[in-house]
Amino acid sequence: MEEQRARDLAELVAVQEAAELDLLSDGLLAAQDLFRPLAEATDGLEARPLTRFLDTNTFYRAILVEGQASLTAPLAPPQLPPGRWVATLPAPFAFSRAARRAVAAGRLAADVLGPQIDAWAQAGCALVVLADPFLPVEPDAVDEAVSALRELPHSVPVALQLVFGDATPLLEALADAPVDAVGVDFYRTPLAAVPEGYPKEILAGVVDSRSSALEDPAEIGRFARELAARRPARLSLIPNGDLQFVPERIAREKIARLGRARVSLRAAA
Amino acid sequence: MSVRFLTREIGSLGKPAWRVKSFAGRPLDEADVAEARRWGERLGVEGHERLLELLARGDFGPPELEEIDDWAALYGLRLLEHAGLDVVYDGEQRRTEMYDHVATLADGFEPRGTVRSFDNKYYAKAAVVAPPTVSGPQDVDEFDYVRRHSDREVKVPLTGAYTMVDWSYDEHYAAHGSLGASAERRYDARRRFVADVAGNVIHPNVAGLVEAGAGWIQIDEPAAATKPDEVGLVVEGFNRAVAGVEAKKSMHICFSDYSALWPAVLELEDCLELQLEFANRDSRDLGTGDDDRPGYAETLTLFKKHGYPGVGLGVLDIHSDFVEPAELVRDRILYAVRVLEDPERIQVNPDCGLRTRSWDVVYEKLANMVEGTRLAEDALNSTHTAPVTA
Repeated sequence: MEEQRARDLAELVAVQEAAELDLLSDGLLAAQDLFRPLAEATDGLEARPLTRFLDTNTFYRAILVEGQASLTAPLAPPQLPPGRWVATLPAPFAFSRAARRAVAAGRLAADVLGPQIDAWAQAGCALVVLADPFLPVEPDAVDEAVSALRELPHSVPVALQLVFGDATPLLEALADAPVDAVGVDFYRTPLAAVPEGYPKEILAGVVDSRSSALEDPAEIGRFARELAARRPARLSLIPNGDLQFVPERIAREKIARLGRARVSLRAAA
Repeated sequence: MSVRFLTREIGSLGKPAWRVKSFAGRPLDEADVAEARRWGERLGVEGHERLLELLARGDFGPPELEEIDDWAALYGLRLLEHAGLDVVYDGEQRRTEMYDHVATLADGFEPRGTVRSFDNKYYAKAAVVAPPTVSGPQDVDEFDYVRRHSDREVKVPLTGAYTMVDWSYDEHYAAHGSLGASAERRYDARRRFVADVAGNVIHPNVAGLVEAGAGWIQIDEPAAATKPDEVGLVVEGFNRAVAGVEAKKSMHICFSDYSALWPAVLELEDCLELQLEFANRDSRDLGTGDDDRPGYAETLTLFKKHGYPGVGLGVLDIHSDFVEPAELVRDRILYAVRVLEDPERIQVNPDCGLRTRSWDVVYEKLANMVEGTRLAEDALNSTHTAPVTA
């Protein structure tokens, strides 16, 4: 099993390298869902009731809280070049919602996510992406989500990715949030929702992880230029969520097209 | 008037190995035939010796495979009857899987590959590439076989339009210009997709089934609550799919946040009930108090508050081999009655289709479900002297 995983990871990295992506991901190949690896590494949490994920025909195991949540031992870092890898973890707000609010987002940030982020920072992680598929459907809870983010360490740059949802009602509130970047799904969010001069880096979800349709790199490039014209602090191009929602063959092609979009963007610049 | 609950399945049962291997062209071994014999005898399947001869002979062409399909349907039907259910079907033995069954038989869809559903379970996914249509009803022969072989009430499960849309890739309705598009444009694309599937794929099947004598159509919409802002489309899809048919109509939804369903589901036209999953999120301890039944309290309160529709109460966790004792089933029903204060709005079923469980586990679960239901009825029918309390 471990040998197969290593082969799969090597293949995945090769696809990303070929696309000339700046940061590499391990593709969460060993994770059954977004929450389970951390839940299984945490005292007081158990992943059990099968629950349909927001917005996809996939499931996660909802978290049962059976005591005070405390990370037993950090998850091992992926075998990727130090300083060039990106890690994906659940945002504290999403983690709390996956536990049906039985444990506060702030506590999960301080006692579970924080130690994990510190461990990966020491292991050479370049960016931690906190994925949150719940906040876009509960935008009124943004204060709770931001408050929990304040409990996180600053040992490595952190991004909050609003997965598969309209970021329009959240962007303004997140402008002052203690994160370095905000991930936006532009298949759910209109371009006009991004305020002029946004003070944070935008991780622009320009590849649709839920669609089999293959993106046109030229169209991505055109969109990225329009977005850049709104002068966010910085702009990066990413998929709008995990690529596990399309078959592997399509995921590979989408990564390649993301790379080609960046190349065409550079050429245009 | 005494209380009497209907007990039903939701849809799928696992397929016997002899059926799976036959269709996959893999050789059967003695254990497969022995399994067919064991269940044939246990369920009293009439003439099952013929199946055993067929399986022992091997070398199946299309006529033999058709016969094996009939046997699988009959075995599924007899299992549900033997467990004591009031309302039955064939365990969807003839269907590959609820999504693929529809996508494969309709024009306008093309397969795209498999993606993970959960754990290490994967499912086939298709893309819509043109407006979907069917040349006629898909499931009339399937229904007709069940009707000819059972004297129980029959409920036909059909995948709903919204779920077909939500589980498909869209390479037609939202093929171009989606990046950075407005919410209105995206919603309009989804709405057109739902309308076409409901009107041109599901409705012809529903109409054909009802014309053939089906008295109960269950529309399966497991995706119904996964995009809270699109529950209205679920309702539109249901109403369009069952428009103008004279039959009982209900909807099954599972593993979701049900709070998103109301008030939109109040617009479902003539929907007998929502059959929902509850047991998956419940405690296994006995009791009829709020704290004893965490999986039921919140959603049943919504049914109570809104008064419509009825509830198909999921009392069996279909993702676990844990066999719910009859007393646990009883307490789940009694709790629902206590919250709703109207037993006539409640019927009893598993959380969802049982296809991921072995037939042995399924049989034990369903038999206990029926027994637990009878215990609940006994408790309620004697409450003129001893009311049920928390």
